[in-house]
Amino acid sequence: MTGGGKKSGAAFPVLAAALLGALALSAATGPVPISPRAAFDAVFLGTDDTSARVLLSLRLPRALLGALVGGALASSGVAFQALLRNPLADPYILGVSGGAAVGALSVALFLSADASPLLPLFAFGGAALSALAVFLLARRRSGVSPERLILMGVVVGAFLNAVIMLMVTLSPPGKIPGALYWLMGDLGLGTPHRVAILFPYVALGTVLLYLLSRGLDLLLLGDHAAFQAGLSVERVKTATYLTASLLAGSVVAVSGLIGFVGLIVPHGARVLVGSGHRRLLPAAFLLGGAFLVLSDTLARVASPAGELPVGAVTALAGAPFFLYLLRRNGGRS
Amino acid sequence: MSGRVRIAVARRFLAGLLPAAVLVASACAGPAIAADRFPVALTDDRGVVVRLASPPRRIVSLAPSITEIVFLLGRGDSLVGVTRYCNVPSAASVLPKIGGVSDPDVERIVALSPDLVLCTTDGNPREKVRALEEMGVPCFAVSPQDLGAVFGSIERLGVLLGAADRGRAEAASLRRRAGLARSRSAAAETPAVLFVVSTAPIIAAGGGTFMDELVRLSGGRNAAARFSGRYPRLSVEELVAARPDVIFVAGMAGVERFPPDVTRWKEVPAFRDGAVITLDGDLVTRPGPRLVNALERVAAALADWRKGRPKGPAAGAGGNR
Repeated sequence: MTGGGKKSGAAFPVLAAALLGALALSAATGPVPISPRAAFDAVFLGTDDTSARVLLSLRLPRALLGALVGGALASSGVAFQALLRNPLADPYILGVSGGAAVGALSVALFLSADASPLLPLFAFGGAALSALAVFLLARRRSGVSPERLILMGVVVGAFLNAVIMLMVTLSPPGKIPGALYWLMGDLGLGTPHRVAILFPYVALGTVLLYLLSRGLDLLLLGDHAAFQAGLSVERVKTATYLTASLLAGSVVAVSGLIGFVGLIVPHGARVLVGSGHRRLLPAAFLLGGAFLVLSDTLARVASPAGELPVGAVTALAGAPFFLYLLRRNGGRS
Repeated sequence: MSGRVRIAVARRFLAGLLPAAVLVASACAGPAIAADRFPVALTDDRGVVVRLASPPRRIVSLAPSITEIVFLLGRGDSLVGVTRYCNVPSAASVLPKIGGVSDPDVERIVALSPDLVLCTTDGNPREKVRALEEMGVPCFAVSPQDLGAVFGSIERLGVLLGAADRGRAEAASLRRRAGLARSRSAAAETPAVLFVVSTAPIIAAGGGTFMDELVRLSGGRNAAARFSGRYPRLSVEELVAARPDVIFVAGMAGVERFPPDVTRWKEVPAFRDGAVITLDGDLVTRPGPRLVNALERVAAALADWRKGRPKGPAAGAGGNR
């Protein structure tokens, strides 16, 4: 991987326009017909009819949630790929997903659905606990090596998967559809309230990662070279790990396990702006947001059989796109 | 083809048992069992011909609806195994469990040495039923897809279990009740009705479900019928766009209530008028005799809606606000 700077700066206006376009398309799409005039009145004149309320409290929050979630997943993916020096890393590779799933299923199974506001809290708690466990298990006096992190992440993930299977098997059938949709990734709970809850986490996480950009650039060269270049390697690794896990965990808590965004969007962004993290992180955020908002719009309207889980759409659309990128690039970026 | 061969083998196996079975039957046949009409040969809903030389005395049921029918026919005493979901009537819940509908334990079933297994093609895995047949256990499948077929399967199971008269009588009485419930809705206003099986996420019963039929028979219009698929998932916006006048919730543990950020959409007449009615989930999803109870309740609720909207008594009793 080469440093950034060689690609043209035109990528950012294009990416920003793509995100805004995706948000507009999402806000304009849905079963309740809303004329452009009604939308304008709702946004700028504060009208209060059905179409205004559908636009302002259903569609826009959901679109914004998609942008935040997609952006956070992509940023987190960039960070994990640099931290683990592994192009196949994604936000879920170190057991965050399993911990979040166990937390969410606990709410669905052991508390009633009336307690579903607790679901994000438990999911976040589970994600944080498993991320911390993986980190502590992988740490040695000499520091944290990517290999040990991946190994511990896989082992903890496998253990949590077994717990998930047990929980699903032992649960009464009526109790789990909500949890299953959550496991497949779901933006259907996009309320203004959730956007407000998620925003500070995502803002904090992405800013912190951005501040770590130079460290991430150096990490890609290897621990030794990074150290030679004057980087306090362990501190950067710890900060990156915790920040990327915080991003992934908070996002998982409100939207479930949306796969593929955190894996492919970083590669797509790398094709556009190169692999210098100062450009790569913001590009990945914009691209991830646009991609997820578009995927969710598709998930809402594509099927005559009702709404699809957005996680299925991201994987369906994402895998071929990933292959296209790889082939067009003649290999990995 | 090989299925028929296996049945033929099973038949020979049973024929060998015939003298013994007749002895047992004559020794302890109660008045409800018409052993004199045996042997019987009936084609099940898979097209497989099942022959019984005598009324079955050790029956395993692989579905809650079938267990209910067996008890309705007065043959609950011959059930030796049921699923873990068989909870109606209460006598069923103390019977030995052979697993669930989708995961019946073949070995446990065989260990009960049944002379008849009653199964369904809607949920029981085909391979497991085949495994049972290969071990010589006759399996009779019922999979009614509408109310009329439920009544028909009660009659056929009556014949198979040696309770033909009882089966006919029970089916006739259920048909009469269903007809009565329908007649209340003839030529009246048709409310838009949404029947949901889950409130968060919102999963509705679409076309091809028993709930869809209950709504139509009661003179309502299923607001989810425009979706393809039997259980479409609706976004809140789709619920708002559908504007159902009445919402039925097939209550399963934990999902009976809509969250407040859904019920605050007063554009939906059902939320505005409090016409959200919770029914027992088992009642409306099991193709058994109690579907008629469900039909009566749905029809009564829609009649109330017509009579005194906005607030009918049924809505007040079962609604959630």
